[in-house]
Amino acid sequence: MSIEDEMRQFVEEWDKEGLKAMCKSLIDKGEASPEELLKFIGNIMKFIGEQFENEEIFLPDLIGAADTVKDTIDEILDPAIRKSGGKKETLGKVIIGTVESDVHSIGKDLVGSFLFANGFEVFNLGVEVTADEFISKAEEVGAQVIGLSSLLTMSMDFQRQVIEELINRGLRDKYIVIVGGAPTSEDWAEQIGADGWADDAIEAVELINNLITK
Amino acid sequence: MKLKHIEVFSKDEIQEIHSASIQLLTDVGMKIDAQDARNLLKENGAEVDTESKFVKFPEALIQEKLKKVPDHFKLHGPDGHFNFEINTKDTVFATIGTPVKIYDPLQKKGIRKTLFSDTIQQIKIVDSLENILCSHIDVWPNDISYITIHVHCIYQWAKNTKKPYGLGCLGKLASTDMMKMTSMIVGGEEELIKRPRLVGFMNPTSPLHLPLIMTNGFAVFTKYKQPTIIAPEALAGSSAPVTLAGLLTQTNAEILGSIVLSQIYNSGAPVFYGTVSHITDMRTGNSAMGSPEMGLITAGIAQLARYYNIPSRGPGGGTDSKVLDMQNGIERLQTLMLAAQAGVNYITCAGTYEATLVEALELLVIDDELAGMVQRAVEGINVNEDTIGLDVIKKVTTSEKKGVNFLAERHTRDHMKSELYFPKLLDRSRRTTWYKKGAKDIITRAREKVDQILQAHKPNELPEDLDSKLLNFIKNVESRTFDDYKKAEGLRVSKITLPDGIEIKEDDK
Repeated sequence: MSIEDEMRQFVEEWDKEGLKAMCKSLIDKGEASPEELLKFIGNIMKFIGEQFENEEIFLPDLIGAADTVKDTIDEILDPAIRKSGGKKETLGKVIIGTVESDVHSIGKDLVGSFLFANGFEVFNLGVEVTADEFISKAEEVGAQVIGLSSLLTMSMDFQRQVIEELINRGLRDKYIVIVGGAPTSEDWAEQIGADGWADDAIEAVELINNLITK
Repeated sequence: MKLKHIEVFSKDEIQEIHSASIQLLTDVGMKIDAQDARNLLKENGAEVDTESKFVKFPEALIQEKLKKVPDHFKLHGPDGHFNFEINTKDTVFATIGTPVKIYDPLQKKGIRKTLFSDTIQQIKIVDSLENILCSHIDVWPNDISYITIHVHCIYQWAKNTKKPYGLGCLGKLASTDMMKMTSMIVGGEEELIKRPRLVGFMNPTSPLHLPLIMTNGFAVFTKYKQPTIIAPEALAGSSAPVTLAGLLTQTNAEILGSIVLSQIYNSGAPVFYGTVSHITDMRTGNSAMGSPEMGLITAGIAQLARYYNIPSRGPGGGTDSKVLDMQNGIERLQTLMLAAQAGVNYITCAGTYEATLVEALELLVIDDELAGMVQRAVEGINVNEDTIGLDVIKKVTTSEKKGVNFLAERHTRDHMKSELYFPKLLDRSRRTTWYKKGAKDIITRAREKVDQILQAHKPNELPEDLDSKLLNFIKNVESRTFDDYKKAEGLRVSKITLPDGIEIKEDDK
């Protein structure tokens, strides 16, 4: 069985510890580079993403797999790449979070998992995230995209406030800002001056792909 | 636990109906056209009036024969691999209906006459469906000779499905053809009797009449122990009392009388305690299949069947709508859900509308979806330590990880397929995705599925010698005349009109 196949088994079994141990041992013994392993993970997630698109597997399978590889990337591969002075290649860095006064998290987390599964580096700031928190993190990690989620008509306006804060700080053009959430719409995105809007997690990936390559 | 069955009778009421039905059978009896059937009943102690052809059933005979009826049996596909059990507890979905027209949006009226090619397509589609386990000679082939339909259909069944098949008890000669031909396909009569492949439907004519041709066919089916569906189609207010209790009493007597005959023909022959009864619309005189009363009648039949411990058959998905509209959807789900909640063991009529006169292959695949949903609903809620999931609730709610939910929990992955029904045709996507996929309604999506199934369907490989034997058999049947049929059935009418409009005059030679 190839390294990639063996890794895929761990991913499909959601065996976080198994995957971590395997990757660590391969790197320690010099049998594979962290960059190589990261590439395998990319392939595995692509394969699982395709299975999902073909309706062969379901949401928990996809998210559980993403969840499994995330630990290995964060705890084993990223540190190893940093140590060797290498640079991690991703499609882009995306900050996501639910805006102030809103604690809804699942839809936004789905967007995070889908982005991650599709090769983006995702910084999920959680819920009730303030404008300052969004912007500070984006500045800190050098993100390209800020994704603002809102599930309540009452919290929607905080999406606008994040954009206004970016303008105040003279950073608006630096970031692609996208919004989403059940009460939001394409019109709303336009109205508050966001760069894009998506209806669900699958659409969000496509939207960011399009905006980044523009 | 599983959903509790809807019950329309109390224990006393069911006893009351039973006693009244027995009284009908002992005092009035049933008119039975077939002389050999009357003779057999007479030999078994029934009182026969030769002139009126009425047969009165002694209560002891009814009780004795009811004990012989099996409470479960299996149905097999042509090669015997695919099979399922019919019993008094579970629910299985199937077709039946005999539509003579088919949905065709290209036609001005939206329908056209059914052709043999439609019959074949319907068999192929049922073969590919998940929840509909048996097809019957539903879609009536208007373009082939009436007297050869049964053999052509059996040939196509052998070639195009892994599932069992159903046909009407269409007389002695045709039913014997069916048994002979199916025996060839399955490797002999013994195999056919041991592992039944065909379901026969036998409709007593209400009130209290067993017509000649059907009874002749019924004798053949039971002789070969192929399960028969005994299902009167009484209409409240015209062929039965308008009161539902009266209709159920009368049809109960019709079914019990037929069951007694079946067990005299062949003790232990499997039967379904069935119904297609519904009501007469009091404004038009038309039958109303999508009516709520039909659901109640079906529930009553299911409860009576449980009382006798015999598997039940009832229609579901019935509608009077003439188009694929909301009425069609409302009535089909209402009757289907009621039938399932009532605990009907064999729910039929998938794919039909306009009181089963019209077929739509689109509806057939939609009904497969509905059957899955309904099946899920009647399974109810499974409660145990694992499904209560205290551990996972504790784990998720106390997790310190940002954005934790149940989606990525093993508990979700392990249970999702047994807990949740996964729809295939119902759209749950967001508007943007739905637009991108072409903004299709369910009929369009169903049509696409039909096309996909038909394109991907692979016929069964019949051994060459069997194939030529079957084709030869068909040729022989084709060479028969109507006279041959009349003679075989002992017809003594001056004129009969066959379903395809051909009139036969009795020449009384």
